[in-house]
Amino acid sequence: MKIFTNIKLAATIAFTHMRARLKQTVIATAGVAFGITVFIFMVSFIQGSNDFVQAVAFEQSPHLRLYNEIQTASSSIMDRADPGAVNVVSHVKPKDILLSLKDGPQIVQALQQDPRVAAISGAVSTQVFYRLGSSTINGSINGIRFEQENALFNLQAKLVDGSFKELSTLPNSIVLGVGLARRLNVKTGDRMEVTTEKGNNFSVKVVGIFKTGLTDIDKQQSYASLNTVQRFLEVPVSYITDIKIKLHDMELAPAMSRELQAKYGFHGSDWKQDNAALLEGDALRKMIVYGVAVTILLVAGFGIFNILTMMIYEKMKDIAILKAMGFSDSDIRWIFLVQALFIGLTGALLGLVFGFLAAYGISKMPYKSDVMITLDHLPVSFSAMYYVTGFTFGILTTTLAGYLPSRKAAQVDPITILRG
Amino acid sequence: MNLIEVRNINKYFDQPTRMQVLADLSFDIEKGHFVSITGKSGSGKSTLLYLLSTMDTAFEGSIRINGEEMQGKRNRWLADFRNHHIGFVFQFHYLLPEFSVLRNVMLPALKLGRYTPDEIEYRAIDLLQLLGVGDQAPKRASLLSGGQQQRVAIARALINDPLIIMGDEPTGNLDSQNAAIVFDLFRKLSSERGQTILTVTHDDDFARRSDKVIHLVDGRIAG
Repeated sequence: MKIFTNIKLAATIAFTHMRARLKQTVIATAGVAFGITVFIFMVSFIQGSNDFVQAVAFEQSPHLRLYNEIQTASSSIMDRADPGAVNVVSHVKPKDILLSLKDGPQIVQALQQDPRVAAISGAVSTQVFYRLGSSTINGSINGIRFEQENALFNLQAKLVDGSFKELSTLPNSIVLGVGLARRLNVKTGDRMEVTTEKGNNFSVKVVGIFKTGLTDIDKQQSYASLNTVQRFLEVPVSYITDIKIKLHDMELAPAMSRELQAKYGFHGSDWKQDNAALLEGDALRKMIVYGVAVTILLVAGFGIFNILTMMIYEKMKDIAILKAMGFSDSDIRWIFLVQALFIGLTGALLGLVFGFLAAYGISKMPYKSDVMITLDHLPVSFSAMYYVTGFTFGILTTTLAGYLPSRKAAQVDPITILRG
Repeated sequence: MNLIEVRNINKYFDQPTRMQVLADLSFDIEKGHFVSITGKSGSGKSTLLYLLSTMDTAFEGSIRINGEEMQGKRNRWLADFRNHHIGFVFQFHYLLPEFSVLRNVMLPALKLGRYTPDEIEYRAIDLLQLLGVGDQAPKRASLLSGGQQQRVAIARALINDPLIIMGDEPTGNLDSQNAAIVFDLFRKLSSERGQTILTVTHDDDFARRSDKVIHLVDGRIAG
């Protein structure tokens, strides 16, 4: 109780000091507020863009993917013929393996029962040439069951013309990426040709055009029904090359990927591996934001440190007189600490408000991008976390900046000053 | 009854070289007495006052005030002791310039917390009126004249009814008329309220009229 009244008295003295130096106090508060504002604004904006880029990329990438890959045999035939000897075979050719997943359709059915799996799709993916007249464009074609693939990637939302429905009803029909269609100069309803790796030509009809927002995909990818692509490749209906899985909890993907690889003997990858560069970029950008914010807050902290240090030099006499009156060292420390805390608290709160307003303002700004086609406003992320972090940061730096001078004030020797 | 008992005090300064300022001082001061400490400059009289003020804790020997030993006490305890029992008046009045006159007088009492803020304000105004500066109460302290400021400082020293009022040349910066007012006031406080007055002074007239004079020569009591 006594401590409480002591601090209250120290606070009233602190406020009298601050009122006498209103201009300096306001400037110091503005410094802190500015630091926090910039922090909130930058984190919201950068995190917003990160989230947006991730959302666009992740929508096109399954959480988990199983496939086969051409690879070099790990042991040569000599090892099997003469085990124990040192066998050196140079320049081993890669093994010719079937890209199909053995028992793929059965595995798809089995995994559908797995409680962790939200959606699953078995597909055939292969390289083809798209041809119209004399032009030939290299690309890939996905043979899909529309319902399954749509459950994973929400294809319907990306359709800009025509329909996916006709894929299953009309043989040799195809849906092209918007960039690919533009390069070939075809529209829905036009006919064109597809040439497979083996050299077989098929005439196909364009029944739709899609746009994902990722230029790489839109420029070279197309969808056809599973049966159509299987027919192009001259393979049986059990032939699928990719199993794509969407999980209820995407964080489980790496562990589940290892589990399924061990179980079925396929290659696998998860969204973290597929988007490693993107995730790394996110982490780096976040570090930059925190670096900038910490720098600004340090500068603001130095401002507070300076003002209080100068004030303490000016107030040496007052400190001595207060000590003579019966104020203890810790009472004196509180007088100056309260000033730093008040500046920090007011600055931090103002910074949060202005930061929010700036972030909100920019989120309403129209913005068109060729790369991010689905973007119409600047992406901004609003999360309570940034505000908590910013506030904590602000209070910590100002407390530290106030603590050092206030300790100095507490150590002022009243006698040397009173004796003059 | 002795209010202050000083036994075998030695005090050294370490800067610039180690030298003895006070040498083996012992004396008593009775309650309600008006005591002056005199001596040439450099004789150690201010040093002695600040030792008795409990603000200087680096000394050898024993100082007992009101039965309490001052040697080896912690800062917080000493601050609290000053707050309760000692009022200060300095040569250069030393008011807090940003605060109003009234607030300056109230501060030690607010720190003590014995009365509510309303009672403290009432007592402070009473004291200011007693000292003839009641009409200055709402003004900022820095706007007052020297004599007025010193009277406010005395009001501040009196607000907690201290046992001892200490002055470091309280009249040194005042004209003779104001000095006479301050002296009479101190006289009255010691005789009517039984408060002990302890002042360092250059003023021979002032010293001659006190109950007891401690005259220092080179850190020792002379005579």
